Amino acid sequence: MIAAPFRVARPRSIEGAVRLLSDHGPQAMLIAGGTDLLPNLQMRLFSPGLLVDLKSVRQLSGVEYSREGGLRVGSTTTLSRLLEFPAIHSEFPVLAAAVRVVAGPLQRNMGTLGGNLCLETRCRWYNQSHFWRTALGGCLKKDGNICHVAPGGKFCWAAWSGDAAPALLALDAEIEIVGARGARRIPLREFYKNDGMDRIALARDEILTAIHVPPRMAGWTGTYRKLRVRDSIDYPLAGVAVALQLDAHGICRDARAALSAVNPAPRLVPEANESLAGERFSIELVERIAHAAIRTAKPLTTSASTPEYRREMVKLFTRRALEDAWRESPNSVQ
Amino acid sequence: MPEDAIRLSVNGETREIHAPPHRLLLDALREDLGLTGSKRGCDDSSCGACAILADGVPILSCAALAVSCQDCEITTVEGLAGTESGPDSLDPAQQGFVECAGAQCGFCTPGFLVSTVALLRRNPNPSLDEIREALSSNLCRCTGYMQIYESVQYAAQKYLTRAPQQPIPRIEAADD
Amino acid sequence: MTDAHATPPAPSVIGNPAVILDARAKVAGRGSYTDDLSVPGMLIGRILHSPHAHARILSIDASRALALPGVAAVASGSDAPVPYGILPIGHDECVFAVDKARYIGDNVAAVAASSAEIAERALDLLRVEYEPLPAWFDPEQSMCAESHWIHQDRPRNIEKEYHHVFGDPEAGFGRADFLASERYFAGEVNHAAMEPHATLAIWDPDERLIVYSSTQVPYYLHRTLSEVCDMPMSRIRVIKPLVGSGFGGKSEVNPLEVAAAVLARKAKKPVKIVYTREEVFYAHRGRPRTIVDLKAGITREGKLSAVVARVVQDGGAYCGFGPVTVLYSGALLGAIYDIPNVRFDGYRVLTNKPACGAMRGHGTVNVRFAFEAMLDRLACDANLDPADVRRRNLLRAPCTTPNGLRVTSYGLPECIERVVEQSGWSQKRGKLPLGRGIGIACSHYVSGAANPIVRSKLPHTTVNLRIARDGAVTLYSGAADIGQGSDTMQIQIVAEVLGIRPARIKLVAADTELTPMDLGSYSSRVTFMVGNACLDAARKARSRIVEAAAARLNCPATALKAANEVISSERDANTCLSFAEAAALAIGSDEALVTQGVYAPPAEARGGDFKGAGVGPSPSYSYSTQTAEVTVDLETGHVRVDRIVAAHDCGKALNPPAVEGQIIGSVYMGFGQAMQEEMIWCDGRLMNPSLLEYRLPTTLENPHIKSIIVESLDPEGPFGAKEAGEGSLAATIPAIANAIYDAVGVRINSIPFSAEKVLAAIREKERRVPGAAPDGAK
Repeated sequence: MIAAPFRVARPRSIEGAVRLLSDHGPQAMLIAGGTDLLPNLQMRLFSPGLLVDLKSVRQLSGVEYSREGGLRVGSTTTLSRLLEFPAIHSEFPVLAAAVRVVAGPLQRNMGTLGGNLCLETRCRWYNQSHFWRTALGGCLKKDGNICHVAPGGKFCWAAWSGDAAPALLALDAEIEIVGARGARRIPLREFYKNDGMDRIALARDEILTAIHVPPRMAGWTGTYRKLRVRDSIDYPLAGVAVALQLDAHGICRDARAALSAVNPAPRLVPEANESLAGERFSIELVERIAHAAIRTAKPLTTSASTPEYRREMVKLFTRRALEDAWRESPNSVQ
Repeated sequence: MPEDAIRLSVNGETREIHAPPHRLLLDALREDLGLTGSKRGCDDSSCGACAILADGVPILSCAALAVSCQDCEITTVEGLAGTESGPDSLDPAQQGFVECAGAQCGFCTPGFLVSTVALLRRNPNPSLDEIREALSSNLCRCTGYMQIYESVQYAAQKYLTRAPQQPIPRIEAADD
Repeated sequence: MTDAHATPPAPSVIGNPAVILDARAKVAGRGSYTDDLSVPGMLIGRILHSPHAHARILSIDASRALALPGVAAVASGSDAPVPYGILPIGHDECVFAVDKARYIGDNVAAVAASSAEIAERALDLLRVEYEPLPAWFDPEQSMCAESHWIHQDRPRNIEKEYHHVFGDPEAGFGRADFLASERYFAGEVNHAAMEPHATLAIWDPDERLIVYSSTQVPYYLHRTLSEVCDMPMSRIRVIKPLVGSGFGGKSEVNPLEVAAAVLARKAKKPVKIVYTREEVFYAHRGRPRTIVDLKAGITREGKLSAVVARVVQDGGAYCGFGPVTVLYSGALLGAIYDIPNVRFDGYRVLTNKPACGAMRGHGTVNVRFAFEAMLDRLACDANLDPADVRRRNLLRAPCTTPNGLRVTSYGLPECIERVVEQSGWSQKRGKLPLGRGIGIACSHYVSGAANPIVRSKLPHTTVNLRIARDGAVTLYSGAADIGQGSDTMQIQIVAEVLGIRPARIKLVAADTELTPMDLGSYSSRVTFMVGNACLDAARKARSRIVEAAAARLNCPATALKAANEVISSERDANTCLSFAEAAALAIGSDEALVTQGVYAPPAEARGGDFKGAGVGPSPSYSYSTQTAEVTVDLETGHVRVDRIVAAHDCGKALNPPAVEGQIIGSVYMGFGQAMQEEMIWCDGRLMNPSLLEYRLPTTLENPHIKSIIVESLDPEGPFGAKEAGEGSLAATIPAIANAIYDAVGVRINSIPFSAEKVLAAIREKERRVPGAAPDGAK
């Protein structure tokens, strides 16, 4: 398995990278850690003429945190570097919990936070070699017109399969995007389009440059639960991130929950916030949110695990994550 | 520099190769530089046999482009020996895998060694759980991992003491 | 007495830890595996695979591929039409499909080009016209097929069926107080050796072929290349470099080996082919999907009265080792317990999928799972301790089982006792809290097949030993070390017998031009058979050296011993000669002292004379007992295997760390099959042909494995040794299954025990017995 030939540009600045993207149009692609893209190129899922290597842009890497400014992570900061940053663990435990279980240590040493937010969606009919897909006749997402997951449908159900995104959704993160028309900052939740074929709202000439977590999210308790077969290397088959802010009496001031790997996008559980705010921990409450999570999850047979099991685990993991988050909070009164 | 020249710093030497820009670092090492110690066991960056150190950080050379590694110091398994105590001596990690039967067929061994060396430089006295975590991107099909853990513990002890080797206590579960 | 080699050796080589021979090269990154080799002018080969599961090949047009600059040769069916196969009764595959392709991934053509890129581009330019045919994917449907058989001479797609009856099973069931009848299912698994297969074929200007290959069977490769290429064996040389393990996946000739040779001859240049990981899964030869319908009965006292097994193996599109696999699954019901009445009906069925073959624990693993799980159930039904039930069905060795398997040494009782003691079995079984459990199971395996694949009376292995005038010892052996350490074992044996340091011995191995014939590394035969041949060669050399020393020292040869690099009198240590001095005396005016060692299993080990009796007999059997401890999450169904204690009777551990490595590695592989490895099929399409989706255990979920060596000292094994590399695998799976039952009271009859299956079983139990579950086992 060999990738089709491409050239590689190694810009030193964001502006230089944007210019390369503008100049080369649709034949250019971005590469950061490479752990997702390079295998995909060898499978001939893409055949770009040019890769713009963001790792040569030094200003894209780095972590900053202050009480006033919150957290800012440069998009090419590797997941391992991020985990070395103490505030991630003390102030944003849901993010630490999610990043810690991305693939395995070698992948985390390469993979970047920005790359993890821009992963290609995954499906077992799609993430296959050129030979395999040719023998199949392709699929809706690549080289074909049939969806093998939902035959007859015209929607691609390839699953969003990242771990960091749900945690950052639960932290109400924002992302910085720089393009030929300037910079913009949008909530992460607006980044995802919930379409297996067209996953993110990033124009051809744009670059995700940084991830911000607002200062008000610091100190929120939280955790991430990941369904996978192995305890390392695997992509999630389902993921649940929960973040809670509790007051001194154990009453929930604010809360957010988000899911991964059960839709074509990472999704916030819409009811979590209103149902939890102002409430104390109770089994009934947790069950209610868990049910809301199931309503948000729409997994199909895109991976080795069945949709029924993944839905059920979303429910269970939501309940467990809430229980854990409540229990681990310094203000917890259960 | 001609269009296809790629300059790599590998095991302390600067080497220039002529290869297309889409050359993977693994292929550059194996095909262009003849450093065949790093192995290819998979095609989707999921086995760890190709691990190398880039500026001391263990990464997968099959998921890196050679052109993108021109700014860093690369160490392959061939470069591990001689760094500790003389040019021909094996690194304690390598000695550990020799003495404790950590290598059977040896195909995954270079990747395990790279992960081990990085672990021990960061954490000279790792617990069993820390060893398991640090090696969890590396797949071995022969050993069932137990003798690899012993090899790493042997190396850790040797790194710590730089002294003649004591017998390593066998890894036992808590209730043994 | 001066000798350059003389430094004090270890008191005994055998039984003491020995570092494997090439360990230092391996850790330094200097070990050469086939893909590490390159020679000037070398071309890269790539294989074109069939996109259809079953299709007639109407035409192949290579003109556009040949026109591509850099393409040196294209080969397809007509270039190598001679069919081959590992078994004489199964020469049913050609390197490139001649008439039709039989599975998605079947080999259709190949290209050799100056680079891998060009070779891949050339594949895209090959035009093949197919006529798709109806295909068979399910073995139970396939064996009812009325038409479109996969091979025309295999009606209803049945490759082979065997029907064996020993004793009177019906009468046995009549005596049983407890009966069970169940269907068990095992998913398909692949060896997934870390090294993908690789071959470098060099066409010599003087019309000779030199083939370096990642093979467990250099001799069979040599033979097959000779037949397919229609060249005498003398013009072909097969060399096995380091092999990145095999587990059976390299124990048949694989298509790339023949393809590289055919391309090299056509291009008159060296050609290297390395499989992608996906191609490894298409070459396959792994453990088949298996359906086991099992019935067994025990008396109130726990004595097995009868067993009936019907086994259907989903063999894939070619014969391969298939008939042997299905025969082992029946034959190895015996030789572990005393079972007087057995019926076995085995079917090897062809389907349009990659061919299955031999994989660690060949044939026995899936049936052993079924049997040991059922025995656990019967023990529980009879309210007996499952460990005790196993004790009550032991053989009384030496003995011969009803199906003709001769048991010469039998460490199973000690395996059971050691594991029961070390695991805390009695304190734990039925007493751990809900969600935690412990299970026990046993297994066994052959130490090589007593009958060779190609029936003959010739030795199964020959080694040559050469001692030079300066005392340097060279051992020439065809045995294929694939990482298990068999090269080291051979040196240990020679060193022990000659009383010299291992460092004095050089091994020349697995090169058909230099080394005598050995059948290969499969069926756990090397320690027993090649070890015995080494013993034979070394003893012959020793007696000549000792006799020469006796003449010089004026004492009877019987009064001399060879140890510590010295031949000396038992009584007077000062009456001595160095090994080199004595060797020089023995050489006399010859160039060197040369001896030959051979091994062939004795006639009485070769089994009965019914149809299929040839598979199963072995000169001796290994035994294993294991306990597994698990923690089951009642809400997810996830099973964590916390700890496995494995005792293995290897006869005698020649190199204890290597033996432990084999035991632990077998348990690990059994754990993988039990919990998470499975080839997933969708209409003949393999859905997970990668190491990302075919999930070998990582360090994190792999259990803690404790190995215990049991030494029963086999009377015919070298220093008492027998096999260590496969037998432990089969016990792991049922030990885990039985532990799951102890933990949550459900029996999972289908491998792998995925969280989803376990959760469904827990739910089903709750539904059937509301309120009572899930604690039935407690």
